[in-house]
Amino acid sequence: MPETKPLMKECLPKQGLTYHEDMPTVVLCKPKLLPLKSVSLEKMEKMQREAQELVKKQELENPEEENFGIY
Amino acid sequence: MDPLFLAYSYFRRRKYQQCADICTQLLEKNPYDQATWTLKTRALTGQVYVDEVDWDEEGIAEMLMDDNVTAQIARPGTSLRQPGTGQGAVSQGVRPMSQSGRPVSGFVRPGTQSGRPGTMEQAIKTPRTAHTARPVTSASGRFVRLGTASMLSNPDGPFINLARLNFAKYAARPGLAKALFEYIFHHENDVRNALELAALGTEACQFKDWWWKVQLAKCYYRLGMYHDCIQQLKSSLKHQDMIDTYLYLCKAYVRLDQPLTAIDFYKQGLEKFASDTSLSSGIARIYEGLNEMDNAVKFYKDVLRVDNMHVEAIACIATHHFYTDQPEVALKFYRRLLQMGVYNAELFNNLGLCCFYAQQYDMTLTCFERALSLADENTVSEIWFNIGHVALGIGDMNLAYQAFRITLSNNNDHAEAYNNLGVLEMRKGHVDMARAFFQAAYVIAPHMYEPHYNWAQLSDQLGDLQSSYNSAKRAVDAFKDHVDSKELLKQLQHHFALL
Repeated sequence: MPETKPLMKECLPKQGLTYHEDMPTVVLCKPKLLPLKSVSLEKMEKMQREAQELVKKQELENPEEENFGIY
Repeated sequence: MDPLFLAYSYFRRRKYQQCADICTQLLEKNPYDQATWTLKTRALTGQVYVDEVDWDEEGIAEMLMDDNVTAQIARPGTSLRQPGTGQGAVSQGVRPMSQSGRPVSGFVRPGTQSGRPGTMEQAIKTPRTAHTARPVTSASGRFVRLGTASMLSNPDGPFINLARLNFAKYAARPGLAKALFEYIFHHENDVRNALELAALGTEACQFKDWWWKVQLAKCYYRLGMYHDCIQQLKSSLKHQDMIDTYLYLCKAYVRLDQPLTAIDFYKQGLEKFASDTSLSSGIARIYEGLNEMDNAVKFYKDVLRVDNMHVEAIACIATHHFYTDQPEVALKFYRRLLQMGVYNAELFNNLGLCCFYAQQYDMTLTCFERALSLADENTVSEIWFNIGHVALGIGDMNLAYQAFRITLSNNNDHAEAYNNLGVLEMRKGHVDMARAFFQAAYVIAPHMYEPHYNWAQLSDQLGDLQSSYNSAKRAVDAFKDHVDSKELLKQLQHHFALL
């Protein structure tokens, strides 16, 4: 191959930030995308919530029964 | 109007409570009315019905004393228990890991809420946190809690007294028996009686009805008899090819930790039911579980070609794009979800993050504001955690600090927030506080490498080389390709060798 003159001259910066030394530092935890919930999961959670509320309501309505009359 | 007709109409419109009320009145007048009895059974089942394919809750006992697994030490890439680094897997340094060592998914289903813990110690320790309560066995899990609640709500006791039923009589009448089975299985959660009825039912049809075989398999699955379950399902497939049957079959194989066999069966199902989305999304889920993201995304895209409103596929692809440095593309997918009518805190949080990293700053804060207004108490902490990241990105350290603090006040087991607070304290020069935060973080979440590495780095600077070495080792255990941890470990080993 014939010697060709390079078209572009290599240019290295002489001043300013010429190189960067990678210093090990502490790391952050990454941001977290939240997973969406499936329909059945949402339904299950809803059912559980409703059941809990129902039980709570019943406990409030007749506390004697739930505590077997013991206070 | 005829009350029975009205009850049927309520049933069709899924107003199960009203339907059941009318049926109760009718049954008081005539307790032997079979049509009303069946309708009430179906209405009560409908109230608590959850698709059995999706319903999968593993307790600690099932997971750790699991002797169903075929190979205890499986080859890499053939087991869901030791997810390898498959093709296209994103580094842990970019995509956060769940406790099981798998990247966080874009979508949660009942079985995937928290991953399988590796050791007994981990299993017992982690579920104690307030937000990931896992039942000790699935026998004490949601099934039973819901069952008892449904009985409490009925002042006259249960609708059907199972102990008094003569199953053989009912099994001979398919119309009654099928509704009764679903009632026992879904509403009463009494698997043993359901199994008895199903066994009699299949006998009554001379073992020719595929439906009863699938129901038998469902009972066997709940009882943990997976091989019997598979046998019933295969026999049922001989009578009739059903998508549901294939899905149950693959679910059982996944439980036996044979993901590749499960994929084979999904593909067999796809040959019969070409382009069915539940089958191809099943394959994608397994690949995701095996950490082979390239394949997973490919199958999710197949799903979208057939059904472009498939929330799971869109969410998973979006998550993949976000963590492979393409937040703009992820943003498009999440916007699609918004257009489709998904409107919840999780989606707005994800939109906010994507907007921020795609440099659309005007939308970021409004998205987060909306997410906060929609969130329940579990999600609020995660949203504040992400707001903290936005604050870090714009250099507002005070806001970041406060956001992480709010995260902790909403969920004081949030390990990531502890770690990030530690980093912020270190920047302020409060070394003791930083140490405390890092320690809190790695005690709560030993599967994350960040707090281990940070603790190692800090101890190294303070001259506590031994604990630095231990921590760096733990960091490498958690994330074996982390260059900085390995570098630190090498330095320390060199240092110790000189002594």
